Amino acid sequence: MTMRVQMIVALAALVLLVASATLERAAAQAASEIPRTAAGKPDFNGIYEWPRALPGADTCRCSATIFDRKNFAPLLGNSAEPFLEPRTGDARHDEPRAFCMPAGFPSGMLSANAMQFSQTGNYLIVLHEFQGMKRIIPLDGRPHRKGIEPSYYGDSVGHWEGDTLVVVTKNLKRWSLDDYYYTDPKEYRMHSDALTVTERISFKSPTKLRYVMTLDDPKIFKQPWSQEFEITARPEWSELGLLEYVCEENNRCPGGVCKAN
Amino acid sequence: MRHSWSVTFLLAGLLGTSGALAHHSAVAEYDLDKPMSISGTIKRVEWQNPHIWYYLDVKEKDGSLSEWGVSGGAPGQLMRRGITKDVLKIGATVSVEGFLARDGSKNMTGRRVTFADGRDVFTAGPEQQR
Repeated sequence: MTMRVQMIVALAALVLLVASATLERAAAQAASEIPRTAAGKPDFNGIYEWPRALPGADTCRCSATIFDRKNFAPLLGNSAEPFLEPRTGDARHDEPRAFCMPAGFPSGMLSANAMQFSQTGNYLIVLHEFQGMKRIIPLDGRPHRKGIEPSYYGDSVGHWEGDTLVVVTKNLKRWSLDDYYYTDPKEYRMHSDALTVTERISFKSPTKLRYVMTLDDPKIFKQPWSQEFEITARPEWSELGLLEYVCEENNRCPGGVCKAN
Repeated sequence: MRHSWSVTFLLAGLLGTSGALAHHSAVAEYDLDKPMSISGTIKRVEWQNPHIWYYLDVKEKDGSLSEWGVSGGAPGQLMRRGITKDVLKIGATVSVEGFLARDGSKNMTGRRVTFADGRDVFTAGPEQQR
């Protein structure tokens, strides 16, 4: 190796070393700047916007965030619980939320309303203004509950992986996946009762959260798939706080019969 | 009448794509492919979940008055944009753009509300779309 080549190699190694050290310092600085609890865990307490899709993802003809079809895994061919539910013309089947049935999870989490995270040592409580949704998520290492009926919001438990809070939700009823049907009523997306959702929540910055959902629905998709969202802290909403949301107060589709007035 | 105003105020966020279609039977109730607009006087307001409703006295072509119902976003969505119930004052004249109810009744979901006096009290709302 000539002297010149040796010098170039040494210079490249030095550049890499400096770049690596800079990145490490930046990561360490970012990690030190995020809010933390007394126990040193990331502190998610606060009021937030709903999860927003990243730029370039599918959007809805509505205000809610929806899943981006580009992320979907291949569908199983002939599932007994199909991804797209045929419409019947009966609102009780086609749009159960129209007469105040629950949005369910994960759909309700993506509704365009304020939400609040209340975090203690052993719990993360997610309060969403939409339909008064509440999710009480134990963080103490307990397993999923056994012997309870499947539900609209399922059974969630969480644990920490470094500075990332990982929440796993199972035991869901078959229900609408998201609000895409406002864009195309023929595409009423459903999840099955075999769905497991894994949420990964971490700070991108002191005011932005990285929020990744992984959906494993072996009755519908051939493999799990994921989508990343962003959640923005809205401390200026703290004064107003969350409001009461009683859907029945002005339900225009009682019993599934929709009337505009 | 709407076009004669020197200053118009469009409030898409109050009702439209980020409000009235947020959830709740918009597909069943309204034909999103049939945009329309009406002008009238606010008669009463229901500031309730899951969507606000307000009612206008609208002068029909034959000179008679009809009551039209207009739905909007959820109160919480609107309040976080700085829009409160006080904005929809009884007796105020407004023009509303939106979509007609599928059943042909005199109801619509509103997208834009234009006030006669050109107030811009809502324009700072983070969700506003013009």
